[in-house]
Amino acid sequence: MSRLEAKKPSICRREPLTGERAGARLAALRGLLTSCYGPAGRLKQLHNGRGGPVAATSHSAALLAGLPVSHPVLKVLTAAVRNHVACFSDGGLFTAILCCNLVENVQRLGLTPTTVIRLNKHLLSLCTRYLKSEVCACRIPVDFGSTQILLSLVRSILTSKPACMLIAKEIDHISTLILKAFLLTIPENAQEHIILGKSIIVPLKGQRVIDSAVLPGILIEVSEVQLMKILPIKKSDSFKVAVFCVSLSGDLSDTGEGTLLVSYGVSLENAALDQLFNLGKQLVSDHVDLVLCQKVIHPSLKQFLRTHQIIAVDRIGVSLMEPLSKVTGTQPIGSLGSISPSSYGTVKDLCIAKFGCKHFFHLIPNKATVCSLLLCNRNDTAWDELKLTCQTALHALQLTVKEPYVLLGGGCTETHLVAYIRHKTRNEPESVLRDERCSQTELQLITEAFCSALESLAGSLEHDGGEVLTDGKYGHFWSVQANLPSAVNWPDLPSRCGCGLYSSQEELSWSFLRSARHPFRPQTCLSHEAKGSANTLTLDCFTAKLSGLQVAVETASLILDLSCVIEDTN
Amino acid sequence: MAAAGSVAVALHVAEVLETIVSGCLGPEGRQVLCTKPTGEVLLSRDGGRLLKALHLEHPVARVMVACVSSHLRKTGDGAKTFIIFLCHLLRGLHEITDKEKDYFIFENIQTCGRHWKNCCQWKFISQALLTFQTQILDYIMDHYLSRHFLSIFSSCSKERTLCRSSLEMLLGAYFCGRVGRNHHNLISQLMCDYVFKCTACESRFEEVLEIVDDCFVELKVGVTGLPVSDSRIIAGLVLQRDFSVYCPADGDIRIAIVTETIQPLFSVSGSEFILNSEVQFQTSQLWITERTKAIVKHLQSQNVKLLLSTVKQPDLVIYCAGLNGISVVECLSSEELSLIQRVIGLAPFALPEASSQYELSHTALVEFCKPLILRSKRYVHLGLMSACSFTPHCVVLCGPVQGLIEQHEDALHGAFKMLRQVFKDLDLNYVTQTSDQNCTSGPCIYENSRENNELPKIVNSSIQRSYQDTVVKSKGELAKTQTNLKVCSNLIVPGVKLEKNVLCSGPKVAVTDSYQTEETLRCSSPNKGTIMDDHEPYIESNSGNSTTENTRREISYGNLQVTKLARKDSMLPLRYKSLKMCTSQRYYFSSIPAGCVLPVGGNFEILLHYYLLNYAKKCQQSEQTMVSRIIANALLGVPKILYKSKKGNYSFPQVYVRALQTLQTNQPMISNQTGLESVAGKYQLLTSVLQCLTNILTVDLVISIERQPREICDQDSEEEL
Repeated sequence: MSRLEAKKPSICRREPLTGERAGARLAALRGLLTSCYGPAGRLKQLHNGRGGPVAATSHSAALLAGLPVSHPVLKVLTAAVRNHVACFSDGGLFTAILCCNLVENVQRLGLTPTTVIRLNKHLLSLCTRYLKSEVCACRIPVDFGSTQILLSLVRSILTSKPACMLIAKEIDHISTLILKAFLLTIPENAQEHIILGKSIIVPLKGQRVIDSAVLPGILIEVSEVQLMKILPIKKSDSFKVAVFCVSLSGDLSDTGEGTLLVSYGVSLENAALDQLFNLGKQLVSDHVDLVLCQKVIHPSLKQFLRTHQIIAVDRIGVSLMEPLSKVTGTQPIGSLGSISPSSYGTVKDLCIAKFGCKHFFHLIPNKATVCSLLLCNRNDTAWDELKLTCQTALHALQLTVKEPYVLLGGGCTETHLVAYIRHKTRNEPESVLRDERCSQTELQLITEAFCSALESLAGSLEHDGGEVLTDGKYGHFWSVQANLPSAVNWPDLPSRCGCGLYSSQEELSWSFLRSARHPFRPQTCLSHEAKGSANTLTLDCFTAKLSGLQVAVETASLILDLSCVIEDTN
Repeated sequence: MAAAGSVAVALHVAEVLETIVSGCLGPEGRQVLCTKPTGEVLLSRDGGRLLKALHLEHPVARVMVACVSSHLRKTGDGAKTFIIFLCHLLRGLHEITDKEKDYFIFENIQTCGRHWKNCCQWKFISQALLTFQTQILDYIMDHYLSRHFLSIFSSCSKERTLCRSSLEMLLGAYFCGRVGRNHHNLISQLMCDYVFKCTACESRFEEVLEIVDDCFVELKVGVTGLPVSDSRIIAGLVLQRDFSVYCPADGDIRIAIVTETIQPLFSVSGSEFILNSEVQFQTSQLWITERTKAIVKHLQSQNVKLLLSTVKQPDLVIYCAGLNGISVVECLSSEELSLIQRVIGLAPFALPEASSQYELSHTALVEFCKPLILRSKRYVHLGLMSACSFTPHCVVLCGPVQGLIEQHEDALHGAFKMLRQVFKDLDLNYVTQTSDQNCTSGPCIYENSRENNELPKIVNSSIQRSYQDTVVKSKGELAKTQTNLKVCSNLIVPGVKLEKNVLCSGPKVAVTDSYQTEETLRCSSPNKGTIMDDHEPYIESNSGNSTTENTRREISYGNLQVTKLARKDSMLPLRYKSLKMCTSQRYYFSSIPAGCVLPVGGNFEILLHYYLLNYAKKCQQSEQTMVSRIIANALLGVPKILYKSKKGNYSFPQVYVRALQTLQTNQPMISNQTGLESVAGKYQLLTSVLQCLTNILTVDLVISIERQPREICDQDSEEEL
């Protein structure tokens, strides 16, 4: 019996952002996220205090999923970031920090929301137009002829997640594996629409990271007991496979809504088993070598198949069914009756492999785009983080195939954009003022707020108390060690910029980030030698970052536009 | 527990609500964030949704919310304006009663307590309000306001066709008040495109709107995590599920719909299946398998490439379908099914009883059928070939958070509701007291936007009107007219003389007769030929009466005004007006025709304010004067809020004074706004608010009870059972 209760009235709060409390909470969230950002970011340990797993992470998806947020405004922010991460895997912290910075900076100005939103939108479109244009100097077109850029992209993603606990050598190894796994999913004879295959991540915890490997085809884990029963595999060119999605356990399928009256002495189990044996006989006569079943195979049928030299593996699970049908090249069989010969698939080879303490049944396809990435790490927490990071990297590679560009990482894109916006709004403000109906001062204030949000985002890459500089030519990001000996002439110190594209040169004029500075025109159009020299660049996924930028500004506008909050307390 | 109902309390409640909703009103309005108990967040500027989310406890507030939601059910728009207007009305009443304490109190009830006295006074006022709403409002709308109305239809053709620019303006104004300010352009553009893409035949857009309004949930797909600017329209129908089995197909793709499992079951509900032997069980199973295969084979032979199923099909069916190259989509909702059926007119295919013959006529062609991937989620994308005027398209709404997408969905859905309302005629009827018997007792006004007015022809001293009808008129009225005419038919046939003077104000037909009916025909013609509405003239429903009626006609050329909207130099055709005269002479049936609009930015309110004040000056009855004044002043509340943030020349006092000046000098109103809003919607809002106010005023005591009040209709239903 349901109990009806009168609903409690909701709480209505006006101007949700102006209060002390909201400001403090926003600042707390920003501080928390900022400290995780980048390769030098600090880790956060999440646990619930009543046992259960402990996660040490700096990944936005894991962090925000575990973080309890009570303030409605912050809920909007975290929801937006989580949705972005679900879409693009990468750039979650970037989006979240930029959004927090924007809200805080604009909040301080006290301008009317209309102006703020309109101008923010304008500045955003300025950024996106520039990033999408040919003259953009922080975007590198991807050359698929070499693995250089793709490898750099994967390495940058791995480096930015310190919770994976990888050393440089391991990073190299894993990034090669990821790239290899990705390349294995690309079909050989590409047509108009490329349908990428799938790389399945297989967990292997407690092993050395160096033991990770990429294998074509599918790995099915089997227990040692099962392994004993599996016969030695005979040598052959190809194996005939039957993949079942129906249960082969002899249970009665759906008999309808009416009643089924069974006379005394009639055993339906026997009848069903007879049917299974008939099926087994058909499999034998069709010369099937391997039977795979999503659900359970009846022990008698298993025994029967074994006596006829057929390998049977059951309980494969629904998640492996789609890659299995890709590997074998058929649809799963859904019938216990006669099976059409066309529904058998083939694999090139079968073998039993042992990795660590686990046994796997390895199906090697003829030419399918499915591969298994056997991922090892020392402990559970680090493995979880590594898995997330690998997924991010694979996703980033997929997105890069769609839009063949990468952005400079290491804070250089942000500082370069800032220089570009400052220059643009200072020198060509007329069009903006006319279109957006605002005053020069308003434009300057908002531009400054927007730029400083981007700058402090870039600045939060530096966690060890170092100084951050920008140059007056490219507008790139240069980081200087903290506690410099005073004797050293410090502007000579930075050797390479954040992304690694430029090395320290004579003619660069240095200035501190976040310091007042004369706007300059950053050099546009990336030079060719710069592209060529790109050895070990720090790179970001273009699609993810661009969308992250848009989502951050849109969410900030949304939050700034709130006039009141109605909280349902039921 | 009982609490006295009073204006002061109601005003207090309304003021609280006003502070909440006024922040979201108009193009400068801001968003409100609602959290649900489940932890979800929802962004909204929809007044109705906000009021519901508040879960108000106060009895008066609940009455108001109930009134608002019943108004929203009717029109789908205007919740915020409702509250603001109600609040201003209450404020007006409160002030007036403060000043004139004993204004309405009768002598004989002065002995009662003060409270009862007040209640009586409220009742009196509420009656006055009701009279105003039923009589004066319609009169003013019809007589004064109607000359300012613009039409949303394009002027160039005979049929009612949508004019893109005016639709854009109408939607632009609507979305200004509904979605966040950096998205309303995008969303209104999206909606406009959507309407035109979906409309196969321009003249049947109403049918399209009806389908979209009914099935909007099935026609949109929400995608979280992408920027709003990625929202788009895609051709075809998107089903929010993946294929159970997908077989790529080219060429002729036929689809079939099933509503039950194709695989026969052992027993259906209500029956028994007796198993006597194991062999019997096996043969039955074999039969089931064979039959399933046979049906699927048959589907294949009919060239069916896609099977849509409302239920989950067993593995066997999926397997067989895959073998035969048939894609399967399972678990369609009944709404999706009904939409598909409406669009392609395809009935579900019935499973044949006998195993030998399969008659399958229920298949339809589709253009394509393919998987669609949005944000790594797979959907079924169908290119249906429409059998009706609706060409299926889907809206893909993107946004960083679900709450924002929901807001956009709601706004779009509301906009379709609003559009449907705009394209409906709205009836007005009112009574006028005619004091002068010699004067026109039954004015029949024809405003016709055709310069070359077909003047009445006179044949054999009788007047035959050759107007053709374009407006649907109610049959009942017709019948009534004719019976009345029969009564008059024994009168002497008059000799009618016609002096035709086209250049002058119009032909005057002087009639001498004992029957003193005078009918005035006012034909207003546009002063510009190029912008004319090309509508056919109307048939007079009482065309048979010409022999019996004695008429004097005055055809005067009215002044047609075309309001030029600022910035966008689009001309809107003036709407045409038809007024129906019923022969019982004091009742008027008129209507606000479909597609009537006014520029936004408080134009309607200021116009009505002006005419109400004028009316109040002329009116003799004191309570009517007072009610008109209160309403007129309350009307200004909305434009005041709309112009709050504007400065200088565009501030409210400036706009107001300018508007009054142009009205006094009879110049056309010039608006600096680009949007349009529906007149019918505003009118309905006004009547709803007045009804709500009457409701509040007539209650004198609020009694709190433990149980729910028993519904009276319950007893009836029990008897029926």
